[in-house]
Amino acid sequence: MRRAGRDLMTDAPNPLRLSDIARCFEGMVPADIATASADGVPNVTHLSRVHMLDDERVVLSNQFFSKTVRNLAENPRACVIVIDPVTYDSFRLMLQYERTERRGPIFERLRRDVDAIAALTGMEGVFKLRSADVYRVLELELVRAKVHDEPAG
Amino acid sequence: MREAGRARSYEPRERTLRIPYLPVAGSPESSLIEPEVAELLESPCSLLVASVDADGLPDAVRGWAVDVLGPDRVRVLLAADADRTLANLADGGRMALTTTHFITAVSWQLKGVAASIEEASPADRIRFDAYCSGCLQIISLAQDMPEAVIARLIPAGVVACEMVVEQVFDQTPGPGAGACVAPVATS
Repeated sequence: MRRAGRDLMTDAPNPLRLSDIARCFEGMVPADIATASADGVPNVTHLSRVHMLDDERVVLSNQFFSKTVRNLAENPRACVIVIDPVTYDSFRLMLQYERTERRGPIFERLRRDVDAIAALTGMEGVFKLRSADVYRVLELELVRAKVHDEPAG
Repeated sequence: MREAGRARSYEPRERTLRIPYLPVAGSPESSLIEPEVAELLESPCSLLVASVDADGLPDAVRGWAVDVLGPDRVRVLLAADADRTLANLADGGRMALTTTHFITAVSWQLKGVAASIEEASPADRIRFDAYCSGCLQIISLAQDMPEAVIARLIPAGVVACEMVVEQVFDQTPGPGAGACVAPVATS
């Protein structure tokens, strides 16, 4: 995985890993995903949660973000922004679509999560997991504003 | 929030800002940015901006306040150090702008092209400060977090991007998300 985080003082490469930002994947602060169609029209929407699969992959739940899914079928790259719920540091993940799972442990893990969110928001029957989409993380970058100090926490 | 046909109402605004655009539902000029969309855009809300580079690689950044300039034109503030997005939009790149209410999750996505990027004006900076202040209050209450922590998201400086809007989509979570609401197809 290419890790493009950089120390803002020295500009030295920062060996940032997904496990270093595990709090971002707890679903406390919604994430954002940008995709683009084959003819270059961007699309951006919120995600309730991004799941970390391992240090090189994340999983996104596909419920009904249909334009995102259509875009990824044409152009399998995405940009996701996640936020640390404690420090509010912001991270950009550049993703490459890898595969879709419609059964098995990864799918069941996401289905339980989607069901819990639906129950909490009173939207049972509206939120229904269609698939669990696995992405390889090509790049992970801290995108906090340059005026601020080093990451807290 | 979503009643159709309701004209937009304004409280008196800062006198340093220019005369606001006042769309009226149903008028010829309101065909793209309807009053309820304009109202949300100009409120303290979640703003996301997407762009794409020449190789098709998408990028996402936050918007930092919007001014609705006309029926198909908005001025959105972007972080001055959002290098990828600013490069993507420099020569009239295609862009998407999603606005979402922090509490209700009512959401619209505007799609179009960047018409210009320029230095933020004094009015932009007033708008930026008001937007950040409003967002900090809402998010701090909703997340039970100190405003000072959430303020880490705020960029040091902003630039202004004028966007020509071509389409508006309903983005409110649910099976209807993605429906095009403007321009309305005519038979």
